[in-house]
Amino acid sequence: MTRAHFGLAALALLVFAEPAAAQGVLRIAVGTSLSTLDPARTTTGEEYIYDNLVFSGLTRMRADLSVEPELAERWDFTPDLKSWTFHLRRGVKFHSGREMVAQDVIKSFERILDPATGAAPRTNYEMIERMTAVDPHTVRFDLKYAYGGFADIMSDRQVKIVPHDGIDALPTQPVGTGPFVFKSYTPGDRLVLARNPAYWEAGAPKLDGVELRVVPEIAVRLAALQAGDLDIIWEVPPEQAKALGGKPGVRVDSVATASWDAAIMNSAIAPFNDPKVRQAFHLAVDKRDVVELTLSGEGAPTHSPIPPNHPFFNKDLPIGKADPRAARQMLAAAGHPNGVKVPLVVPAGRAIREKLGVTLQQLAKPGGFDIEIQRVPFARYNAEISGKAPFYVDGYFARPTVDTSTYPFLHSSGSWNARLFHYKNAQVDEVLDKARLTGKADEQKPLYLALQKHLVDDPPGYIAYAINFVCAYRTTVQGVATHPMRWFDLRAASIAP
Amino acid sequence: MAGYVAQRLGFVVVVVWVMSLLIFGITHLLPGNVAYAILGQYATDAQVAALEQVLGLNDPLPVQYWRWLSGLLRGDFGQSLVMQRPAGPLILEGLGRSAILGAASLTLVALIGIWLGVHSATHPGTLGDRLLTLAQYFFIAVPEFFWAILVILFFSAWLKWLPATGYTPIAESGVMGWLTHLLLPVATLTAGLIAHVSRLTRSSMLETLRAPYVLAARAKGLPERLVLRRHALRNALLPTITVLAVDVGILIGGIVVVETVFAYPGLGRLLIFAIEHRDLPLLQAGMLVVTTVYALANLAADLLYAWANPRIRYGRAIG
Repeated sequence: MTRAHFGLAALALLVFAEPAAAQGVLRIAVGTSLSTLDPARTTTGEEYIYDNLVFSGLTRMRADLSVEPELAERWDFTPDLKSWTFHLRRGVKFHSGREMVAQDVIKSFERILDPATGAAPRTNYEMIERMTAVDPHTVRFDLKYAYGGFADIMSDRQVKIVPHDGIDALPTQPVGTGPFVFKSYTPGDRLVLARNPAYWEAGAPKLDGVELRVVPEIAVRLAALQAGDLDIIWEVPPEQAKALGGKPGVRVDSVATASWDAAIMNSAIAPFNDPKVRQAFHLAVDKRDVVELTLSGEGAPTHSPIPPNHPFFNKDLPIGKADPRAARQMLAAAGHPNGVKVPLVVPAGRAIREKLGVTLQQLAKPGGFDIEIQRVPFARYNAEISGKAPFYVDGYFARPTVDTSTYPFLHSSGSWNARLFHYKNAQVDEVLDKARLTGKADEQKPLYLALQKHLVDDPPGYIAYAINFVCAYRTTVQGVATHPMRWFDLRAASIAP
Repeated sequence: MAGYVAQRLGFVVVVVWVMSLLIFGITHLLPGNVAYAILGQYATDAQVAALEQVLGLNDPLPVQYWRWLSGLLRGDFGQSLVMQRPAGPLILEGLGRSAILGAASLTLVALIGIWLGVHSATHPGTLGDRLLTLAQYFFIAVPEFFWAILVILFFSAWLKWLPATGYTPIAESGVMGWLTHLLLPVATLTAGLIAHVSRLTRSSMLETLRAPYVLAARAKGLPERLVLRRHALRNALLPTITVLAVDVGILIGGIVVVETVFAYPGLGRLLIFAIEHRDLPLLQAGMLVVTTVYALANLAADLLYAWANPRIRYGRAIG
């Protein structure tokens, strides 16, 4: 071997050597850049991952959807459910080194309640009338009305505790109390987090760090996972799940969630202002077919935002088989003997919801619905579609409690109902009002079962399915389960050598 | 020559200024509301109106334009609305990474493209020439995003030789780590352009080789090597220089695609981010930087052209 040959061989070795993965740094691929680092203002699934790694809430939600203490060690409430006192865990430190105290909790919620912050979940907390720091480690919330699920909604994505003296730094150098510390963020590239050595739970986290890599192309994400460039793909499209599961070194994990998609029918605009037309649509389309065609089976038909795997799901209500004849008869009875011609708006670029639109267009045809698909970018939904279009496809992430999943969407005074369905049903209002006045599951259950019965009799819109959430992992990744709320709990995660 | 340079430079300034008008006008015609983009979908109408007031979105367009332009002249690129950070450093960082891709690609395109073109022109009709012609058509016809996915599947997923995505600075993973992240994007960017440049050089060279002065050079007994290098190539390269400058534009477009597919954090990704999030200040500043780069590339081509072609520099300088 000449020297030149040797040089070439050495160069080839160097160039083509497998890229070294930093030991203990977990690389998670997401499709879109985060637009904000301020947890109160986050609105996307990618951002919620970050929220839960860098910050903590008063309570947190486990993968089985039960709620457990986090920054609050325990809490108690008055029998009228209107005054809640949270006892903060002592010795919890922000990443800046300062201890977390009651003042931080109060400031965090003041920001969320201030309309100027633009916090997405603000309406869920408007019941808070007054907050009091009883002592540095105790906070009392006095509510405007009784609310049984108050500790549960403290586990939501955006309601994280931030330092009262570090608000201005949130967009650029955010500081929290979570298991990972913010290092850097390059939009279009990656968010880099490092282990929080002062995290309050002994032995956690195990990883040296976490990187959220922004990789827009799904084909590239899949290739990079197989190549070992990535450890986790967050959100695998349902049609890819089966194919990817067979690849060596890759594990696919799918969980049922309470996230749902629907064809929103505006009850204030023709033709859906007639309940018969809404019912006719339900007769025309079998939800099981919709799940198969839209989600490749990665989901389950549902009646309301309460998902089929939830103990409150009403199993006695049948998912109707398609009956196009009955649908046409119902339309005729509503004054549409020749069927209904209506445009259906779908969000351009949201693959699954676009597919749902086309599926409904095809399946509803024999039932007398002549649907024309209109693609509109999701960014324009707010200004042009919500409250204006009679019929459009939309969907919502799971909420932390059954109340927050149903009340805002279905109660006649609900904030989301005012945007989406414009639905008014006195029986529905009654059960929703009653259910939030109790914190006990055995009292809530019959009410929510009745809710679903009312919704099947008088459907607000076509709530098609609860969607599964699919993630893919290198088999070397241990201690992580796909979370039905679509974020990651990485406290126990590790990477096998 | 100095007069010529000054004239071309003045031309660049005019082009960039006109483009700044266009960019500003077009971005204001884009659908979507900036205040909504910042406040998110939960904003109330009153909040949106208040923010529009703060951002000066209610001022007449010429006032807004002047505010923007005078800021740019002072080196203030504005504030990214979505990220709430100054746009200047963000753009500079992205530009630096994109420039690495662009410079590496353009150098390879020039060297390999010209070499292949000359080789093929001096060996016309041979098997090598024909294969090359076939390959040229193929590489010109197939778009970048297709190559990108293909090389990722082949070199990353299957062979596992090269990383599929991302960028690592030299300080973090050494020269080799840095280089491995560049190989696939650069290969993707150059494939089509090498075909383009070599095709053009080939035909230009073939034409030049038939010129009487080449015959004269050969007749006075010059070695073929010198005939090619000193007499033929310099003339044959004139159209190639122009095409290389035009290719800078194609390259910029290609960089946007390649950066997206390879998740490479350059200026292209930043522009896409700005468009997706309706981040107008970031978008405007980014587009103006791209325009300026393109104008400067054409200036460089003009100067190179003048250097290679005395008729231009003397003609203009005298006239």
